[in-house]
Amino acid sequence: MLVYLGTDLLAAWGLNLEFGVAGVVNFAYIVLVAAGAYLYAVFTLGPPAAMGGFQQYIIGARLPAAAAVALAALICCGLGCLIGVTGLKRLRADYQAMVMLVISILATTIVGADTGLFNGNAGLSLIPNPLASVDPARRGWYYVAVVAVICTAGYLVLRRFTTGPLGRALRAVREDEDAAISVGKNVVGLRLAVQAVGGVYAGLSGALLAGFIGGWSPSAWEYVETLALLTAIIVGGLGNDAGVLLGVVIVPVLILQGVQFLPQIESAPQLADDLGWIILGLLTIAFVFTRPQGLIPERRPRHGMSAVPADTGVPPAEARVPPDEAGAPLADSGVAALATGAGSAGLAGIIAVRTDASSARADPGDGGRAPILNVDGLVKRYGGVHAVDGATFTAAAGGITGLIGPNGAGKSTVLGLVSGFVRPDAGRITFDGRDVAALPAHRRARLGIVRTFQLPREFRALTTIENLLVAAPGQRGESAAGVAAGRWLWRRDEDELTEAARGLLRLFGMAETADERAGRLSGGQKRMLEVMRALMAGPRLLLLDEPMAGLAPALAERLEAACRQLAGAGMSILLVEHELGVVERLCETVVVMHQGKVISEGRMAELRTRKEVQDAYVVG
Amino acid sequence: MSVFIEAVGFGVAAGAVIALGAVGFTVQFGISNVLNITYGALMTLAAYLGYALLSVGVGVWAALAVAAAGIAVASAGFNRLLIAPLRRRGTGFVGVVIVTVAAGIVIQYCIVAIAGPDTVSYGQQAGGTIRAAGFVVTTSQLIIIGLTVAAMLALHLLLTRTQLGRAMRATSANPVVARGCGIQTERIIDVTWLISGALCGAAGVALAITTVTFDFTLGPIFLIYMIAAAVLGGIGQPYGAMLGGLVVGVGTQVAAAYTSPAYQDVYAFGLLILMLLIRPRGLLAAGTASARRLAG
Repeated sequence: MLVYLGTDLLAAWGLNLEFGVAGVVNFAYIVLVAAGAYLYAVFTLGPPAAMGGFQQYIIGARLPAAAAVALAALICCGLGCLIGVTGLKRLRADYQAMVMLVISILATTIVGADTGLFNGNAGLSLIPNPLASVDPARRGWYYVAVVAVICTAGYLVLRRFTTGPLGRALRAVREDEDAAISVGKNVVGLRLAVQAVGGVYAGLSGALLAGFIGGWSPSAWEYVETLALLTAIIVGGLGNDAGVLLGVVIVPVLILQGVQFLPQIESAPQLADDLGWIILGLLTIAFVFTRPQGLIPERRPRHGMSAVPADTGVPPAEARVPPDEAGAPLADSGVAALATGAGSAGLAGIIAVRTDASSARADPGDGGRAPILNVDGLVKRYGGVHAVDGATFTAAAGGITGLIGPNGAGKSTVLGLVSGFVRPDAGRITFDGRDVAALPAHRRARLGIVRTFQLPREFRALTTIENLLVAAPGQRGESAAGVAAGRWLWRRDEDELTEAARGLLRLFGMAETADERAGRLSGGQKRMLEVMRALMAGPRLLLLDEPMAGLAPALAERLEAACRQLAGAGMSILLVEHELGVVERLCETVVVMHQGKVISEGRMAELRTRKEVQDAYVVG
Repeated sequence: MSVFIEAVGFGVAAGAVIALGAVGFTVQFGISNVLNITYGALMTLAAYLGYALLSVGVGVWAALAVAAAGIAVASAGFNRLLIAPLRRRGTGFVGVVIVTVAAGIVIQYCIVAIAGPDTVSYGQQAGGTIRAAGFVVTTSQLIIIGLTVAAMLALHLLLTRTQLGRAMRATSANPVVARGCGIQTERIIDVTWLISGALCGAAGVALAITTVTFDFTLGPIFLIYMIAAAVLGGIGQPYGAMLGGLVVGVGTQVAAAYTSPAYQDVYAFGLLILMLLIRPRGLLAAGTASARRLAG
């Protein structure tokens, strides 16, 4: 039973990495476990004929057990990727779950029907035990020891994935895919990587299980087994490796094995099994209803700000500014710091690197500033509607360009097109001399085109400060090297980022909320977070989609000051905004759109007098 | 050639059964926006309910009607007691789908705990055989085809000609706006689960009549046929599901006639996987509300 505990644990950890941490709905997970078991079997059984020919199977090699286990895990890694590819179409999560369920049932049926592959429904038997050389009396305990060692190693490796910057990025992908893309996360790559790793755990689990039992057949891996693992994860704690351990002890071991110890009824020996599954199903439903976070919920990392001296030049009192709500005084020190660019603590000081680079570039010899963004003949149709119909404009480097127009003019669609979230039907988008129209959104974000969303899309289950940290580009802790090398490689980066994030939070008067889960912030705070997160992503062209809408006046003023300061430091901003007063104060150039076309361009004061603009606003 | 025509005949009969169930499944999704994995288990439950009624001497068609009514109530109750409260709480799609999978397993193992794991059969319910132009169909198959056509017609009239049907379609297209127009969407969804439950129950018994034997593990297989037909026609589209059911029925029967019957399920599944991968929103549904809803 301890062996079952260990192998279930490996499988559950792998699935938790996929589902609990990264939010990949893999209802076909048990297929990977099964593949591990079958592969181990056919790598160790030897040629079918030599076994007396009573069972048929492919390959039939006679590898050493350790090599067979490793090879099985490796192939499962590839299969994990393959299953991952099927989830690449951007479909709703429950639909994906259905696809996976179908794949799982299909795999069982095919393997059961095709006797040539793995001996059909009868399954494979006489699979060699990896510890065949050990005295049979002690073999059981040796096996437990081997599985325990592999589990411990598995746990230590897994922690590299689930904690630290990589785990944070994966959780961000789980919480909101689009928001993760907007700060430059390669969501597809991360998902595939997770499924590859999950595949290794599944393969290991299956191989060890098959070696221990000595037989493996389709009835061992029906789709319900994935639910058993899922239940273990849900009961234990979604996204929490220690919780999963508890869940595995409770669900597959205590319930599914425990029912065997109930008094047997002679006439219906299978009743205990049935009861186990019924309890398991009810338990799942009960937990989803009453305690979806599980017995041991996901850990909330502390980056507490009170203990840290404010060394970014902001007076220490700054850290005690209460979380800002509607009635905050206008003379708030955060605003003051923003407005005056207080010392090195100004926004530019915190996110210096990339704005410096762009302002250097934005200093051409010919006097006028070169545009950082050229949009040329952009077209986007939805059905018969031309949402954007040949829009052409430029945004200056190191300044704020306004984009205004009546509702439905196509402003947000333009932001979507420039940031890569919407595919254009025609037209060119040139960013800093480079054609970016064909690049995926996360690549554009890494080049420096970072957007915010009209409705804030925070990573709800992450803390406020994690929301900022996750956005930082080029984190070594997210790379394969970071996972391999461990904490020492990225600790310094992490400390620096944390400092920068704290600085930002102080400037926006949200220091107190650093360790709060972002889902619990107020609407206004979420909007500020949206902007701060975009700033952390190292933007060279910041696309703000109605950042002032619904903000309390004090917060709006703070944001306006921030924009001014950023532009002063050389950042380029494209601002979509309905509040024309803000646009007038902030923007040197304003682009007016109407019915998908750019109808005018110039300074706000001039535009107010132009007839086509007035017509658009009055008639449109 | 006669093999082919015979297979087509059987396929139409099988397709009628599949269409019956698939329409229920697809309408349920289209209007209430829930992918209900429990559907297969409820079909199995209907088949066993029919079996129980048969063994106490109820006629097969009466059993079908009773099972349909019973599953209709069970389905509406399932929505009322589990799905609707979950949705109100803001549980995500994944949470809901996990609950429907779990509920399906609970039903499946309750069935086996009560009825036992052995395969059961309705016995000889085929009636006489009718031969015409190379087609061979049994009376019961003919009745089932008629039943399906009648159910489809009734559903069509309901959706297009009645106030209730218009309210259902409005809820499907945009529940928020529908609520704004004074439609009690909660009630509409209750009615939807009642109707789809009836179709589910009828299809379960009809499937048990046409297949020789069945056991408790058939739930997932039933489900896959329904999903295959529904997805083929564009999920959420009742007319698509009718067509999809026919295609799946005829396709699998013809394919099985020329190869091994053991692979019959595999063809349906293979077709489904292909559809899911290449055109997940279905053959007919390009820009429908339910297709848009599924896209990320």
